[in-house]
Amino acid sequence: MKKQSKEKKYMPEISQKEVQELRKTITTTSQQIIAENIRKMKKTDPNRPEAMKYFDEIADFTKREKEIRAAKQEGKKVIGYMCLFAPIELILAADAIPVRVNSGWYDASKLGDRVVPVEVCPMVRSTIGAKMIALSPYLELSDTLISALTCDGMTKLGEVLSDFKPVWAMTIPRVKDTAQSMRLWSEEIKVIRGQIEELTGNKIRGKQLKSAIELTQKATKAFRRLQELRKGPPVIMGRDAMLVNQTYMWDDIERWTEKTEALCDELEERISQKNWACPPDTPRVMLTGTPMIWPDNWKVPTLVEEANPQGILVADELCSGERLLYDPVGVDEWSMSDMLNAIAERYLMASTCPCFTSEDGNEDRINWLLNKIKEWNIQGVIYYVIRGCMLYAMEYTRVKKVMDSKGVPVYYLDTEYTREDVGQMKTRIEAFLEMLSARIDL
Amino acid sequence: MVNVTHLEAERKNCISETTMMELIGEMLKLTVLAGLTLAGILVILIWKKGLATKVTYLRFLVQVVSMVAVFYLFTYPVWQLIVLIVIFVLPLLLGRFFCGWICPFALIMDAITLIRKAVKIRYRLLPDKLNKFLHNFRYVLFLIFLIIPFVLFLFDPPSSFDTSFLLAMLLSGPFEPLRILVGPLIPLIVPWEGPLAISEVYFSYPYVQEVILYSEVVFSGFIVNIIAWIFVGLTFVGSFFLRRVWCRFCPTGASIAVVNRFKGFKWAPLLHIDKDEEKCTKCGICKRVCPVQVTEVYEQKAGKITTSMCTLCTRCVEMCPYEDCLKVKMGGKTVFRSRNWLEPSTIE
Repeated sequence: MKKQSKEKKYMPEISQKEVQELRKTITTTSQQIIAENIRKMKKTDPNRPEAMKYFDEIADFTKREKEIRAAKQEGKKVIGYMCLFAPIELILAADAIPVRVNSGWYDASKLGDRVVPVEVCPMVRSTIGAKMIALSPYLELSDTLISALTCDGMTKLGEVLSDFKPVWAMTIPRVKDTAQSMRLWSEEIKVIRGQIEELTGNKIRGKQLKSAIELTQKATKAFRRLQELRKGPPVIMGRDAMLVNQTYMWDDIERWTEKTEALCDELEERISQKNWACPPDTPRVMLTGTPMIWPDNWKVPTLVEEANPQGILVADELCSGERLLYDPVGVDEWSMSDMLNAIAERYLMASTCPCFTSEDGNEDRINWLLNKIKEWNIQGVIYYVIRGCMLYAMEYTRVKKVMDSKGVPVYYLDTEYTREDVGQMKTRIEAFLEMLSARIDL
Repeated sequence: MVNVTHLEAERKNCISETTMMELIGEMLKLTVLAGLTLAGILVILIWKKGLATKVTYLRFLVQVVSMVAVFYLFTYPVWQLIVLIVIFVLPLLLGRFFCGWICPFALIMDAITLIRKAVKIRYRLLPDKLNKFLHNFRYVLFLIFLIIPFVLFLFDPPSSFDTSFLLAMLLSGPFEPLRILVGPLIPLIVPWEGPLAISEVYFSYPYVQEVILYSEVVFSGFIVNIIAWIFVGLTFVGSFFLRRVWCRFCPTGASIAVVNRFKGFKWAPLLHIDKDEEKCTKCGICKRVCPVQVTEVYEQKAGKITTSMCTLCTRCVEMCPYEDCLKVKMGGKTVFRSRNWLEPSTIE
């Protein structure tokens, strides 16, 4: 174990009383926000699929928190991760629970201002803030954190959080498709495997790893099924699908897969009855850019789907969304080394994170967007960037250029972790959607 | 076993040559029957488990069936000419489809790969540069096999000589240079008197006849046999650690590969793999699963994959997890495409 009395490198001294007070207020607002968001989702689509009930339940953190607490008492370890580069198959194979700990609370980001300047990515600030007042149950319950050093914010976030918990850093090579990058990353995966084994005390053997890989493959399959259903006329609201997608970050994966399949069954039935969630001529919008994390950072999807004229989100390219599950681990031979290799490749090479570059830039992301536009019949792209997210902001130019050549309107939406600009954002989004529906009418 | 060989030895003393051949014929029939039964079981398995989409199984089936076919083909004297024609004409249409799907040598190597998978040892990878070098080395190998008989001929000229003799030698001379192209077609057990015999069952092996012929120039007696066995052992060990090791520099592959290098033949082969750039996320699975380490499928941005290293085994298309990203096209028509692959395979 690490030394107990460790000097805090980053954290300021906050009185226990203040922490308690803040925690109380923010937790209450957080509960309200969750309820409010779900209420809004129900309002937009009064005829919401029955199967969404489960996801509403999981979206409220308390249920899963209890479960994880109970599992922890039985001796299971919880491993938190901040970027989706953490190999969750290895975590699952070691019989530990993977949870993603990024925070989406707006109020917590203001708290984070006490540690880092406001120019820093609000998601990073919010995660720091959440930790300061022990807001996120998953962050609190995790025994250790895996921090993939992707963007600048994430790199330093791991350092800040190491004041509280052991943090395992994973170096990400910035050029993803060269042999030397792969060597480095494979080594990282091997090291993290050793660390996970040491923490949990369970040896990761081929059999366990195979079943873990199959588990995530099944989850990907269920997720893809849901995505396929979103290709046609809108049968599910975009927010609902996004919520399903998000709950994967903390839910029990086996149960999640089961429930998602059930949801898909229900949706298929609805398709056969032509029971649409909203009029089929609603402008189809794709989101791309900075991750949007439940519960608070649900501003943009809510605005898009509640706007007048209404828009519907049918696809996204968010690392809190489709990118979580889009790529499966493709194993050629079920030997240990090949499985590890497959895991390493899946996390590094398939990723479209803008922290990568290659000979011809981050063209994988462009291809992803183009493919989505074609297959999901997307009429407009909302390019969502929170202030301080340099990588996504810089790639906008490239995306805009490609989208222009394809004749797909892109809208650059920059915002903060704040509720104050909702009115202004509403106007902007409505103008964009107005333009889209005018284009459709033409 | 001991009893059987003892009995056989006894029998051998009392039966004549012809009955011996009949016995072998009977054994062959049984082998074929067993092979076909196995193939039938495989078909039922594939059908029952809904694995028909798994091309690997289908390929194994095709390989086994063509192994049986080749086995019989070898009992007819015309086979060599037929096979040579097939080898020269087929690639225009099908590329190296022959290598991936029909070649019995490939089946032997794939079977060894199955053994390796069963004992859970991972394959080794050749460095890409060496692999590319070997790919070009096949032409050299092919030339060596073509030239050496003539060189030997110069040292030891036959008594009567004319130009038609040269041509004849190319096809059926002492070293049968063009036989190099049908080398991989020779199955493990042969119906005729093969070069390696163990208790009256004749074994042959791809290229082992050539190895014996050429080493007989220098050595004699049992050393030749030892060299032949060393060759067999090397290819066995090689294909244990490297998938499809011989395919990487097989001279038959050269004859097939060389066709689409000529200008007028850009349309060839009609059967090829096609890639869709937008659907590719460069996840690298196609590169990893390729048994001959073709990198072009991964590196090339889009369109027709023209590399002659590709044996068209379509493993990459089968494993590609993005629907329609990789396609096998036959003259513009899609015959097989990558699926929304996510069936966790339980057998392999």
